Amino acid sequence: MTGMLAEGALLVTERGDQVEVVELLGSGGQGEVYRVRTADGGQAALKWYYPACATAEQQGIVQGLVARDFEDDRFLWPLAFVPAVADAGPGFGYLMELRPDRFRGLPALFRRQLRTSTVALLTACLQTVEAYQALHSRGIAYRDISWGNLFFDPANGDILVCDNDNAVVEGDASGIGGTMEFMAPELVRGDPGARPGTQSDLHSLSVLLFMVLMNHHPLKGRLELAIHCLDEAAERQLYGRQPVFMFDPVDSSNRPDPVEQGAVAHAWEAFPQSLRALFVHNFTVGLRDPSARVRESQWRDALRAVLDAVVECAGCGRQNATEPSATGPGACWGCGRTLVLPPRLVVITPPPRSERRILLRRGARLQQHHLVAEPARHDYGDRTLVAELVEHPSRPGRFGLLNRSDSAWTGLRTDGTTQQIAPGQTVPLRAGLELDLGPAWALVVAP
Amino acid sequence: MSAGPWQLVGGSVQGPGKPSNQDAFDAGGSGGSGSPVILAVADGHGSAAHPRSAVGARIAVRQFVRLVGELMDTARSVELPEATLLRRLMSSAQHDLPRRLAAEWRREVLDHWQRQPGEAAGPEERLLLYGTTLLGAVLTPQLFAAWQLGDGELTVVDDDGSVSQPLAPERARLGDETESLGEAHAWRSVRVHWAPIVAPGRGPRLVALSTDGLSKSFAEPDGITRFVGGLDEHLREQGLEQVRAVLSGWLGEAARHSGDDATLAAAWRNPLGTEQPGRPDESVLEESG
Repeated sequence: MTGMLAEGALLVTERGDQVEVVELLGSGGQGEVYRVRTADGGQAALKWYYPACATAEQQGIVQGLVARDFEDDRFLWPLAFVPAVADAGPGFGYLMELRPDRFRGLPALFRRQLRTSTVALLTACLQTVEAYQALHSRGIAYRDISWGNLFFDPANGDILVCDNDNAVVEGDASGIGGTMEFMAPELVRGDPGARPGTQSDLHSLSVLLFMVLMNHHPLKGRLELAIHCLDEAAERQLYGRQPVFMFDPVDSSNRPDPVEQGAVAHAWEAFPQSLRALFVHNFTVGLRDPSARVRESQWRDALRAVLDAVVECAGCGRQNATEPSATGPGACWGCGRTLVLPPRLVVITPPPRSERRILLRRGARLQQHHLVAEPARHDYGDRTLVAELVEHPSRPGRFGLLNRSDSAWTGLRTDGTTQQIAPGQTVPLRAGLELDLGPAWALVVAP
Repeated sequence: MSAGPWQLVGGSVQGPGKPSNQDAFDAGGSGGSGSPVILAVADGHGSAAHPRSAVGARIAVRQFVRLVGELMDTARSVELPEATLLRRLMSSAQHDLPRRLAAEWRREVLDHWQRQPGEAAGPEERLLLYGTTLLGAVLTPQLFAAWQLGDGELTVVDDDGSVSQPLAPERARLGDETESLGEAHAWRSVRVHWAPIVAPGRGPRLVALSTDGLSKSFAEPDGITRFVGGLDEHLREQGLEQVRAVLSGWLGEAARHSGDDATLAAAWRNPLGTEQPGRPDESVLEESG
């Protein structure tokens, strides 16, 4: 494949560092991405814009983003601006880190080409919400949220947001016409005064979350299948003039077709009411009123609660996202059997007091973010692990909480006696056991 | 609409001993403004389990040509900066077109069944009767994109003479097993090649789509890439008319060796300019089943 830059071409970043083009990695909607060798012998990725996309406006955005020096491992952020040189042709580009192989694009998920789990998908959604929240809190609107920008690790739900080169300071008027199926209705219609920003990002974010969890677009039900020629006018109708949510509780005109779209109807039923309610709100009220859209903090609270309420079906082993506030077990979405709920760990955080309810399923983990009311980030990695449910090595079926933190806990049994649980020690799981975890208190509650 | 730089050649020859040709193909356009080159070949599965696959292949080609034509018409009609347009097109090409192709094929196949009903019970069984592969491509002054479901070869000669197969699967499939438009969720198996053309001379100079009746005729695994490399050489040295005159003989020879229908649809960018608006030789088109 012939790219814009030849192998071996030498370029110099705006900071004066030389890079050498190694190979073309792929072509996108705005430019090509190359693997390059850096002056220190390392490797990086270079995005090089197509001539039509290498506008002065785009250059200004990229240089502005580089100057922001935004450090966040959830983003592949532009690190250095790379101007044109004589033998590389016109245009410009920017350096970023290479995307590690473990991160896969959403098309592979939609096409069922990778193995993942309900927990990984929910984690990916939560991390996505927090990543965009981090941007918005800095006054930056992403403006181009779509399935093409998000990569995730199907094993654990870690995410990486790529193609960040359309993000601008909120209120910046520079134009961007994102992918229409992710655009907020007011932008699709071209309403007077409507402009891409945080409010329209919230619509795009909700579409993205729906697609990750349901593998389908929320507005593409029967109405889309009835369109034989999906031209510009039809798309504007579907996404702008008359958008109808597939699961709108009042308007059933766009329900999924049972043959062509049966999978999304099944997926919808597999998620708890608290999560579905947010989608319904966003894709009914939120379609008409941008200010009423579901905020990142609402998504975050709902997603983390559902993540803590995932349980495996004892019959088929599938992970089920149960309703966090439910008192009784539901049925498995896969095999239909009644689920068996395990004990629950109820964690009370220090003020502002809040409650976390974690189902102690096999392999359940308590993380540092469970111990504070407003964590900056929900990290599910080993570095922030506090406790882990483990099975007794010689007595199968007996479980305990292993202290994986670096400080001792105090346990209070129902008979009033106390016990110190040092790092590396396990406390047997019993209903009524209270734990002083340092910053927070926890109580084991029988199912 | 303006005359474009591409000229087309194509043909299809029935395999020996087969009751009918289950391949189908189409090639049209010149690559000029308003006239995208659209190529498609389809290989109906042909075995006893797929008795209507010749119809399925023709429907696949027809729907692909229609949907890609509409996509290009839409792209031409909207007033958007080129940068935005490319992004929209990429999303449609990678995400929407495979889904719509599978859905429209399914719809037309079930319509055909309504007109000519048989004994199969449910819709899924009926679709399998029409099972086919599909390989298609589009070329405009700004874009080269291709889609593939199932076997067959997309072989590309770049401007520097290098030959590649950008849609070759990562792992070769065993025997005659192939993905099919007749399967549930067929769109998930569609592979997409996306390659905007950023400057004249940066894109391909020959794009060839063929069914596996051609590639299976070669003893060597790289036979098809060598064949297309040779086709490029013939076109440059002897011209389009000479190649059109001998193509059916080559395909007939391939069909004899592979025992299968052999089909090729190709677009060639003549370095000397446009000779004539390109459609494949009509006499060869007649053999396309």
